[in-house]
Amino acid sequence: MSALFTPTDEVDFVVIGAGAAGGVMAKELSDGGFRVVVLEQGPWRRPKDFTHDELTVMYRAGLTNDPRKQPNTFRKTPQQQAVKQQAVEYGCMVGGGSVHFTSNYWRFHPEDFRERSVLGSIPGADLRDWPISYDDLEPYYTKAEWDLGISGLGGSNPFDGPRSRPYPLPPMPVKSSGVLFERGAKKLGLHPFPAPLAVLSQPYQGRAACIHCGFCESFGCEVGAKSSTLAALIPMAVKSGRCEIRPDSYARKIEVGNDGRVRGATYFDRQGREVFQRAKAVVVCANGAETPRLLLMSKSNLFPQGLANSSGTVGKYLMFDNGALVMGVCDHPLNEYKSVVVTRVLHDFYRSDPKRGFYGGGGIDARFDYYPIAFASDAMPKDTPQWGSEWKRSVGEYYTHMIGALGHTSCLAVEQNSVSLDEQVKDAWGLPALRITFQNHPDDMKAMLFIAERQKEILTAAGARKVWVDPSTVTETTYSRHLMGSCRMGDDPRSSVVNKWNRAHDVPNLFLVDGSSLVTSARQQPTATIQALAYRAADHIQQAAKRGEI
Amino acid sequence: MHVTRREWVLAVACWAELLRAQSAEERYVWFDAATAAEIKAMAARIIPEDDTPGAESAGVIWFIDRALAGHDQDKQSLYRSGLAEAQAKRTELFPGSASIASLSVDQQIALLTAIEKAEFFQQVRLHTIMGFLSDPLHGGNRGGVGWKLMGSGHEMHYDPPFGFYDANGSA
Repeated sequence: MSALFTPTDEVDFVVIGAGAAGGVMAKELSDGGFRVVVLEQGPWRRPKDFTHDELTVMYRAGLTNDPRKQPNTFRKTPQQQAVKQQAVEYGCMVGGGSVHFTSNYWRFHPEDFRERSVLGSIPGADLRDWPISYDDLEPYYTKAEWDLGISGLGGSNPFDGPRSRPYPLPPMPVKSSGVLFERGAKKLGLHPFPAPLAVLSQPYQGRAACIHCGFCESFGCEVGAKSSTLAALIPMAVKSGRCEIRPDSYARKIEVGNDGRVRGATYFDRQGREVFQRAKAVVVCANGAETPRLLLMSKSNLFPQGLANSSGTVGKYLMFDNGALVMGVCDHPLNEYKSVVVTRVLHDFYRSDPKRGFYGGGGIDARFDYYPIAFASDAMPKDTPQWGSEWKRSVGEYYTHMIGALGHTSCLAVEQNSVSLDEQVKDAWGLPALRITFQNHPDDMKAMLFIAERQKEILTAAGARKVWVDPSTVTETTYSRHLMGSCRMGDDPRSSVVNKWNRAHDVPNLFLVDGSSLVTSARQQPTATIQALAYRAADHIQQAAKRGEI
Repeated sequence: MHVTRREWVLAVACWAELLRAQSAEERYVWFDAATAAEIKAMAARIIPEDDTPGAESAGVIWFIDRALAGHDQDKQSLYRSGLAEAQAKRTELFPGSASIASLSVDQQIALLTAIEKAEFFQQVRLHTIMGFLSDPLHGGNRGGVGWKLMGSGHEMHYDPPFGFYDANGSA
């Protein structure tokens, strides 16, 4: 696109990150009449640029942050020396993670927002209530579902909170994994329901419906049927004539004036030149890892421990995605390589039950989301041969006959689990690397193993003839795509970074809108909640701006 | 004999095509022939030719060569040191043998079993699988033989029902 603004124009908003939340902010703020520049570190791909190339996408960071350019370091505890190791993965392009996600679009449950009140404190963790309730967020979940195009069956999940509108589109056609999962779950007295999915089951708002090509999770959609912000919202933002998307623009610092207000952002452009874009306000939507990193890199005389960090909690209480994958082999072909990943889900074990003796629970979905290279290299039971004729025969026989059930389990907020800067390791732009410190709370492992047993029962009841747990998924978590909680939302500026409207406590014209605001991680699948928060924040920001209160 | 301009142009085009085809004969970019033969022998045990095509038919060695010359350059030293260790193990297990490629199939299996925990073997295994199952544009999986083994289609469009269970009644 041609440039609408120059860096010296003082635009109304600079949005940093064009992902699940940034795409919402871009569309809502520009629709509302504001002038917006969106800085996105990754490229701007079109549907024709996406492929079915497993090697490039899955093994060569084709759509994600490239560890060769942006190394991470990892340690379990602050006492350890961090070592170079990829620890976070996120969609690195216009549309961000909403381009390559599985598209599960679960709302959090009403009790997710007040677990501390219901369950009390958890030793070794900092479980807190949210400063907002499910009812506060409900209208924005609905807005997100209708704006983006979500397929599902409202009311089919008996554990969901109340909803003000049905889904705009009917559920996707059920796959064999969904049929078997539902059969097994019902035998056990459970309540499976059609997956709410950010994929179009029918044409919607000028976009084509899914053609079931099967390269969905981790890939970008070649027909624009996945309801990413790239497909659904960015075109509307651009059409407003007030929003300029700048791809290949890597933010390095948010600049602050002597009055303690932010003045814009400095970034590296495609040629590696530093550019300062002036703005009246800054909205950071860079994800739960890069948002705190950018704040910590934005040190100044007024904010010596990093921007908006008077509480000292920027980067802390990071939460990751947990959950075991259980696999099974069936008698007849399921051909799970076709269509979307998930068509059936259940939430029977979602709520934390003190009788179990540990905090947490999980949702379970039916899926078998291995592409051929990953299946052949990693997925076969470890007590069977891993190469040679017998292995080759099993791999070939199993692939089309596989079913899986994935757990999506709780992850507690623990203070020392964090994003920080590693000054010893630099990225390709000379900036300090993202250092992750992470160790699951003991209850997180217990919840994961408890849910894995339920997954095994369901697949066994479904008739799978051989059932096993993917061993790589039940180890301590050291790697995540769900990046949550590192700049928590709260009423108290001493223990949280943003208020209940996603505005930084310390800086009136700075907003942080992405997974970093999450107070709890619920049972994973955070995208719907991240986007609902973004719609809510956008609503608030526009009203405040019109009243002159930013 | 009278040659028209059109015939002349055609003849030149054919000659140029012939030259291009000859020069396009595959050559290794990173491997030397001896190293390639050893890695090829390992790949052939990892994914053997049996009643279905294996690493050899899929052209896995060409994939590995391109990977080592390109994206996986950082694995070159592992290939050098790992292969040297594998050769030492071969000499220990089969004194007097000349190369991995010249061992019998049973001997090759015994050797690879002895080194299967090593990082080098794990890397060759992963490269072999990648060369067997990645998009043919990367140099392997020739004729899509890997995808055929898995039974995974690569169509752009499918219609339901997708499998046996959704075709045969609901839950």
